[in-house]
Amino acid sequence: MKYIKKDLGSYNLHLINTDKFKTITVKVLFHAPIKKDDITKRSIISNLLLQSTNKYNSRRNLTIKSEELYSADINVNKQRLGNYIFTSFNLQVLENKYTENNNFEEAIEFLTEILFNPDVENKKFKKEKVDYVKQDLLVKLNSIKETPGRYSSIRLFETFDNKSPLSYRIMGYLDDLEKIDEKNLYETYIDMINNDFVDIFVVGDFDNKEMISLIKKYFKFKKIKKPKKSYILKNRKARLKRLFVKEEIDNTQSNLSIACPIYKLTKYERDYALVLGNLIFGGGVDSKLFRDVRETNSLCYSIFSYYNKMDNMIIIKSGIDKINYQKAVTLITKKLDEMKKGKFNEDDISSAKEELINYLEGLDEDEGRMINEVLTEEILESDDIKTRINTIKKVKKSDIVKAFKKVHMDTVFLLEGVLDEEN
Amino acid sequence: MKKTSLKGLDMTLYSEVLSNGLEIYMLPYANKKNYYVTFVSKYGSDVIEYIDVTKKNHKPPLGVAHFLEHKLFEEENGIDPFSFYAKSGTDCNACTTYDNTQYMFWGNKNFNKNLEYLLKFVTHPYFTSENVKKEKGIITEEIKMYNDNPDYKLEMKLRECLYKNHPRRIDIAGTVSEVNKITKDDLYDCYNSFYIPSNMFILITGNFDPDIALEIVRNELDSNSNKKIPKIKEVVEPVKVNKEKEIIKANIEIPKVAIGLKVSTKNIELKDFDLSLYLNMLSTILFGDSSLFKERVRDKKILNGFYTGWEHLDDISTFYITAASIKPEELINEVMNEFKNVKIDEESFNRIKKVWIAKEIRIVDDLEYMADNIIYDIIKYDKIISNKIDIIKSMKFKVLKDLIKKIDFNNISIVIMNKK
Repeated sequence: MKYIKKDLGSYNLHLINTDKFKTITVKVLFHAPIKKDDITKRSIISNLLLQSTNKYNSRRNLTIKSEELYSADINVNKQRLGNYIFTSFNLQVLENKYTENNNFEEAIEFLTEILFNPDVENKKFKKEKVDYVKQDLLVKLNSIKETPGRYSSIRLFETFDNKSPLSYRIMGYLDDLEKIDEKNLYETYIDMINNDFVDIFVVGDFDNKEMISLIKKYFKFKKIKKPKKSYILKNRKARLKRLFVKEEIDNTQSNLSIACPIYKLTKYERDYALVLGNLIFGGGVDSKLFRDVRETNSLCYSIFSYYNKMDNMIIIKSGIDKINYQKAVTLITKKLDEMKKGKFNEDDISSAKEELINYLEGLDEDEGRMINEVLTEEILESDDIKTRINTIKKVKKSDIVKAFKKVHMDTVFLLEGVLDEEN
Repeated sequence: MKKTSLKGLDMTLYSEVLSNGLEIYMLPYANKKNYYVTFVSKYGSDVIEYIDVTKKNHKPPLGVAHFLEHKLFEEENGIDPFSFYAKSGTDCNACTTYDNTQYMFWGNKNFNKNLEYLLKFVTHPYFTSENVKKEKGIITEEIKMYNDNPDYKLEMKLRECLYKNHPRRIDIAGTVSEVNKITKDDLYDCYNSFYIPSNMFILITGNFDPDIALEIVRNELDSNSNKKIPKIKEVVEPVKVNKEKEIIKANIEIPKVAIGLKVSTKNIELKDFDLSLYLNMLSTILFGDSSLFKERVRDKKILNGFYTGWEHLDDISTFYITAASIKPEELINEVMNEFKNVKIDEESFNRIKKVWIAKEIRIVDDLEYMADNIIYDIIKYDKIISNKIDIIKSMKFKVLKDLIKKIDFNNISIVIMNKK
């Protein structure tokens, strides 16, 4: 894998050269500081653009075109990373040697048709298309409790701090849906195209010079802009007393979610000590949480902790029976305290190091992970992979303990399943 | 070792059968660092009742295959699989399906020792009353997790409507009350009957040396004796659907529908992979992303979330649709109209062939996906299909037209799930 970055003025082009795939992946990434009022509109726009374009005026015609391009796969992904909202349009298509003619360039042209030539009349999106996407989102927003794990995370963050971007529902809001029309959607679309920061990633086997000129030919943005606001989110002050909140749901299982904000981490702790510490604590099937809460005490099927660097937060998740709620929280608290007291051994550290190093060494086997890594390296200003692997090897137990002491268990949210087992 | 060239993919599959009947399949990649290894027993939750080699009849509690999968991670002495694989930063997992159980590990280091360990832990069961009891709490939570998912509930209800006797109407993990009845003896009986060399195979994809891998397998397992596979009690499944319509309630806001078409394939000349391709072609033209149906129901705003698929059993194939819709009855009418008035066109037929060829090429890049496909071939067809692209290319429109005449499109089950 060879990586180069080109600053093309109005956007950055990231080229990752590898012969590991039979496809070429292109990701066009728009990002901007997140604004709560815009989330629903952006959610609609991203789906709307994939419904039709000026040239392909129905979803069916659009799909037929992508099928004709040897099943060129185009999808959109929305996410919040720290203080920013990211909307990415992803294209994956076979390399030209497996297709006829110049399939790849045609696929790129098709992607730009979707992005820059939307189905618009008089500076408005078409009403029937907007209505369909709005209705689709309405259904999704109404079905939010069907995925209790995700719903309980959303509720956890809203309970933790409902003013923080952490708590924003990236799918959108029912209340905002009503205010959306064809015109204000178009305005937000234009704002995204003109004012968002843009990064374009290309992964695959290609000639860099040819790829740069191809991308320059099809992607032209007007303004030169550079992000100012920090990506990393700063959490509100820690609570002096832990907050416990319950909400009932008509399910058989209860979903436990715990927010543990982290304060005053150094860059080294953020990128090394705490990453390893979290792997030991709740990162996988050999972690302290899995061993103790699941294997020894038989309280759950799933339990893990997730460390989000951008949000300065460790989140603990588990599916339990409501009668075991207190016991589970006590065990999890105990395990967290043990991490702070250094009650783990050199074997635990060495396993965590191996896992992380293997992950980094195997990154170039997966296009998506590779792109994510390049992206987070850039926005977090992290060390390159080689430096990181070398640094990981040197992390000491005392570093992990010191970093874990900065983790505070703050808010405990239980989505309490109130139905009987065999319901 | 037998070498099979996978046509159009620049790949060679190596295979070998040990004298005890164990099969080994290996697909090395020249340009990958990672490997993906699975040890598979052709035993899943489809086995409800069986007669062992001593002629003894067994009908263990439901969910025993899945329970067994959990319990093989228990070791009598030494280090358990989770810790062992963690030491080299390798991932491991297992899964139980209707027709097989898989144990897998994947990573990029320590291949030889990891393979040795997999072969050891799967072939050395250690079940005690205590460790069986402990697992019940974990599996109960797993079952509850699935039961709380309305889409899963909907699928299970559709299965109950489609199948009268076939175990595909039962949850792979069983039920909480059945799981609580499982004993260590049930586990040992099933293990000794179905985890035998002639009922198992190993599949390795990715970065490894086939000669070394085969040597390791021989050293570990060659001496395991050949045993006879027990007789599995067959169920007779009628062609007719079990129940045509059912309306259920769940904790949802937007109604959901599931529609299943049960097709008798007994009198259809096409078999196995060819049959599955043509059936899939039919459903893709009718209900795929570029179908006229999709366009119509989208325009009417009666479609939200839409999944389709096929399940192929001996002599019966079922096609299912699940969707959310604010107007479920209207959506059902639209689907029924498609079935009553089946229209296919050659242009779509040829375009979809092109899409499928591209997909065959693309999946090679993904070790796990590729492994899943090979496992499916072995379980379903008892062989590797090495010329899929050629078979897709040679598909004829007329064959599809003839196939349609043999399908009874009225043999349908419908489930509607409404808000409580």
